[in-house]
Amino acid sequence: MAAFAAILRKDLRLEARSGESTVALIALSLLILVVMVFALDATRARGVEAAAGALWVALVFAGMLGATRALLAERENGCIRGLLMSPIDPATIYAAKLAAAFIFMLIAEAASVVLMVLFFNLDFDATIWREAPILILGTLGFSALATLLTAISGRTRMGDLLLPILAVPMFVPALIAGVKASTAVLGGAPLGAIAQWLRILVAFDVLFVTAGYLLFEYVARED
Amino acid sequence: MAAPVVETHGLGKTFGQHHVLRDIDFRLLPGRGTFIIGANGAGKSTLLKIIAGLSTPTAGHALVFGLDSRELTARYRRRIGLVSHQSFLYPNLTARENLEFYGVLYALSDPRALAVRWLEQVGLARYADNRVREFSRGMEQRLATARAMLAEPALLLLDEPFASLDNEGEAIVAGLIRHAMTMGASVVASAHSAAEIEGVDFEMLEISRATLAPLRSKEKPEGRGIARLRSLLGR
Amino acid sequence: MSSTSKLLGWLSLASMLIAIVMVFDYVPTEADQGIVQRIFYFHVPCAWVAFAAFGIVAIASVFYLWLGNSLWDDLGYAAAEVGMVFCTLMLVSGMLWAKPIWGVWWTWDSRLTTTFILWLLYGGYMILRAGSDDSPQVARFAAVIGIVAALDVPIVIVSVRLWRTIHPAVLVTKQGGHGLEDPRMIATLLVALGAFTILFAWLLMLRFSQMRSRTRIQAIGRMLSLAEVRAGGR
Repeated sequence: MAAFAAILRKDLRLEARSGESTVALIALSLLILVVMVFALDATRARGVEAAAGALWVALVFAGMLGATRALLAERENGCIRGLLMSPIDPATIYAAKLAAAFIFMLIAEAASVVLMVLFFNLDFDATIWREAPILILGTLGFSALATLLTAISGRTRMGDLLLPILAVPMFVPALIAGVKASTAVLGGAPLGAIAQWLRILVAFDVLFVTAGYLLFEYVARED
Repeated sequence: MAAPVVETHGLGKTFGQHHVLRDIDFRLLPGRGTFIIGANGAGKSTLLKIIAGLSTPTAGHALVFGLDSRELTARYRRRIGLVSHQSFLYPNLTARENLEFYGVLYALSDPRALAVRWLEQVGLARYADNRVREFSRGMEQRLATARAMLAEPALLLLDEPFASLDNEGEAIVAGLIRHAMTMGASVVASAHSAAEIEGVDFEMLEISRATLAPLRSKEKPEGRGIARLRSLLGR
Repeated sequence: MSSTSKLLGWLSLASMLIAIVMVFDYVPTEADQGIVQRIFYFHVPCAWVAFAAFGIVAIASVFYLWLGNSLWDDLGYAAAEVGMVFCTLMLVSGMLWAKPIWGVWWTWDSRLTTTFILWLLYGGYMILRAGSDDSPQVARFAAVIGIVAALDVPIVIVSVRLWRTIHPAVLVTKQGGHGLEDPRMIATLLVALGAFTILFAWLLMLRFSQMRSRTRIQAIGRMLSLAEVRAGGR
């Protein structure tokens, strides 16, 4: 537990010093939203469906590019080996990296939501607060997935290219649920109406956090 | 005879078709030290990594504290300190923060005080709050040594511990090694070249053609490091 | 070829012939869709095999991580390859079916969509293996992917089904296609399922033994080069 806190604190401290991850994530989210505006022609009034879709596209792609830098940074000076040699459980490393990715992504998403409202002619009202639990659940699942898969893709010849190839199909259930729920909520529906989508997101999160936690040591182990 | 700290039987490591290590039978008794000499790429680092539990052998096995190196539990990982070519230090953290972090990781009491003490011992107290990114290679090596010895490990694995060090650094590191051994630590270290070291209880082995044998050296020109080591440890 | 796989090969040929005869001659033409509907008897077994193969990949992956024996890794890889072929056939046959019936090449109905996601998951697994060196580490990576993807599939099925029912498709989906009134249709489907299963088992066995041979040859190669190094003397 103390080790988890120590690793997370270290990553947050490093991020506070360089700002690499959060700046990259926010910048990427902004750019992706801009692309979506032109791609979906969001100049029509109240494009709730376009808005929800764009938000999740930004989440997925910015996340794939920027969320897991905390894990990748451990390769500098071989620090990951220092962690693996220490008495801590490798699963603790996974938990800490997941938490870091989750936090960075949430920060970027807060910015994305604001941009989304501006770009897609929505309002800053209660619907935004109802959107929050959907984004939190989706981001948690994505962070769990991306952290595990980055540990793999970062060690193969193909590197960065492999991450989207593996991550996108696996993320589909959460993507479907997230977009459907967001569209409903941004259109004014109460949280009760999207219960089934939330259930899917929760199931997804439980599955991938658990799987990542249990399987990380097989991935982290060196040859 | 006490149980060996490290023991390998028929240890081999192959990458693809390249045999880096083969038929390694090695034994280290508690409180003893061994120097493994070899050229670049001879397999010294690979052997140390296997003993450290970071790499799995493709043939044979290594026993560390009686356990298979592939299955070192947390209790035993805590007792191994590795200095490798990579420093395991975070460039954007300060020297102090790096040591404190590892102190917490190894569940040591009062990591803060421990960090201060070790920074002094390696002569880096002045740079405690500088980021490792700003350090010279020699300073980084000293800090990496401090990091490895922080938890007072029973087994020290040192991959070319004197590389990049100036005279002062060599003296410091040699002193730390000597001190650790008087406190009962066992040491496996690697180096490029050697000469016989008088009066020092280091077994000298050589890796060549992927296997270990006692060092049969004609006098090669001494590395500065070894000359220094000899003068420091021999007395 | 071992005698078991020879036997399977002959069985496969025989059962496939029977299935083909039944599909083209025995079973009556379906009222609404006409002759094209007969693709159904190939399409459905391919889907069944694709999912079953994926299950085998998952189970082999678990055993590989647990036991470490390369046998399980070879089995998983072989099952993934063969499964991918049948998955592709399922998708292609789906398209060949959709075009004459509904005039479009692809419908995002829940079954096709789920199988497409399965195909992408297989694809990821194959790209990982094909694009990397042969090492125990990569085998472990593939095993982890195999397990996680298999755990993902049930959630994919549920979410895609929900997705499609909330937004009823403009086109009539193939869900209705399972109202098999005539017992001859059911019989034909079962025979086709059996034939494809035997075919899958045979192909899997062939591919698996190829993988095993490759692993063994590599091991022998290593032993030979090791002997060379030893003989080189000091």
